[in-house]
Amino acid sequence: MQWLYLAIADIFEIVVAIAAGKAEGFKNRRWTAITLVSGALGTYFLSRALLTFDVGVGYAIWTSIAGVGITVLGVVLFGQRLNWRKTLGIAVIIAGVVGLQLSGAA
Amino acid sequence: MSHTDRSSANSWLMLLLAGGFEIGYALSVGGSHGFTRLSWSLVAVVFFLLTLWALSVALRTIDVGIGYAVWAGIGAAGAALLGPFFFDESLTVTQAVWLGVIIAGVVWLKLADRPEPAPASAPETPDTRGLTSQARETQGAQR
Repeated sequence: MQWLYLAIADIFEIVVAIAAGKAEGFKNRRWTAITLVSGALGTYFLSRALLTFDVGVGYAIWTSIAGVGITVLGVVLFGQRLNWRKTLGIAVIIAGVVGLQLSGAA
Repeated sequence: MSHTDRSSANSWLMLLLAGGFEIGYALSVGGSHGFTRLSWSLVAVVFFLLTLWALSVALRTIDVGIGYAVWAGIGAAGAALLGPFFFDESLTVTQAVWLGVIIAGVVWLKLADRPEPAPASAPETPDTRGLTSQARETQGAQR
């Protein structure tokens, strides 16, 4: 269940990233509101996940998967290029999360 | 110390502060126990807003990719190191190694995912806390 909570929290964190970008330094009220509401919902689901995960472990997985999602969305939706550097970063993060899981630490 | 030096030093101080706030956010979200403890929950909200503010100020002058990399690294490493001090948790060697791998990956990805220095018509890069466009605008104005 904690992985599901973390996944939901990550979706909201990615929405925060996109909405905050469109909020134009928080001058645009609609996107600022979406930023804050998504931030609140993401934080709630993160806190549910951290009932099971240790704080450092859950937080690291959450923030890193959000980073992967943001990069992938940038490629899929915003026409960014997926170069070898980004690919390596994504691979290292996934290896770290899987390693943490397989070692029983997560 | 020239005006530029001082303002640059202030930006880096603000970035370190943003990292510190993010550690506070992570720890208080954990301490809120699924938002069932009011005081920790309120502290989490305050840290969330403080982080957003400090990061946006710091990224007016610091390169967005470098800024995010430093901020994310501080937040994740700080939460991992300080978690055991505040909660009934332990950080084993195996955990620490894999966490190190994840944090290195995040820092690397943030550096790799920085928006390419391109004309204003370049597509927006959504980024964590998404303050990219604002930072880019301000950078352009100051150079």
